Amino acid sequence: MSLETQHRAKTKVALATEAIVEEEGKYVYCVADAREDMSLGKIGIEGHKVHTIPHKDICAVVHSCPAQLYQSDDQEVVKAWVRMHQKVVDAAWERWDTVLPLSFDTIIRGEAEKSAEQNVKDWLKQEYKEFKRRIEKVRGKAEYGVQVFWEPKVIAQSLTSTSPQIRRLDEEIKTKPKGLAYMYRQRLENLMKHEMETKADEYFKDFYGRIRKYTDDIRVEKTKRAEPGLQMIMNLSCLVYRDRYTELGEELEKINRRRGFAVRFTGPWPPYSFVGGA
Amino acid sequence: MEPTRNSHATLVDLLDRVLDKGLVINADIIISLAGVPLIGVNLRAALAGMETMLEYGLMKEWDAHTRAWESERRKKKVEPIRKAQIAR
Repeated sequence: MSLETQHRAKTKVALATEAIVEEEGKYVYCVADAREDMSLGKIGIEGHKVHTIPHKDICAVVHSCPAQLYQSDDQEVVKAWVRMHQKVVDAAWERWDTVLPLSFDTIIRGEAEKSAEQNVKDWLKQEYKEFKRRIEKVRGKAEYGVQVFWEPKVIAQSLTSTSPQIRRLDEEIKTKPKGLAYMYRQRLENLMKHEMETKADEYFKDFYGRIRKYTDDIRVEKTKRAEPGLQMIMNLSCLVYRDRYTELGEELEKINRRRGFAVRFTGPWPPYSFVGGA
Repeated sequence: MEPTRNSHATLVDLLDRVLDKGLVINADIIISLAGVPLIGVNLRAALAGMETMLEYGLMKEWDAHTRAWESERRKKKVEPIRKAQIAR
């Protein structure tokens, strides 16, 4: 073998090893409150084998994969990935009771001189105190979604009968000539809008107070666009002791029964909304 | 009332959590790509509201016409996002 060929062969090997090390990654599902070093079987995204990486009495639940994000333009594919992610978090949650879930597509990579596994270990080690604190915060609890909707039409109708100001304007319009009636209608609309906002605020405070009693912590989420004819006035993530969700459900049923209101109650979710941030 | 986690009816709620929330790794050892959240935005735009509400009977009083109109409007709204993603 000529010197040149030998050199080329060596370079090739070196490059190949480097490439493997650089491309190795660990997809992280959650951090669990468990002193475990074990495999959970092929339950991961795309059938990957899921295993734990321990540090003291906590562990990361991961699968090994190339250090590349899962990406697709096909919504069905992404939905399937998200569902698999959730299934693994659920399995860990069920098994070890307390988990800190990560969001979809969090991959820790290896480096030239450090494996992805070592990076996961170092991450657990570095954040250990903080993770323990968060584990204690969510222990014995689950997350529930509470969304309250109202039907603006029904609420507006009841405002017309209960607000003297609105009723007076409404009556006056009938007696005015066309041009003037138009202006009055504008005024009525503005007034109605203002009153509706005030009402939404009142209801929010009232419902929040009722719901608060049954929860350990609440995150107020942005309200979202609802169906035509309905408006979301409240969107909460609630951290609830596992044995108190029935009481919360009873309180929500009271709101749900009111005329012009509807409640969505979802869960139990792993505590996604209560493990991030500071 | 009882909470639900029926996988079809609560897909949007699941996505809200799994795509946006959870423990954050503040280190350069994680792989991230600008544009990833687009998956989430796109999915949510396509799924928001409607199909989940049907399960809760919130729409039972609406006529078919309203639903058809909403579905048309949704298609129009979602399209540009999908195009943008394919272009990427």
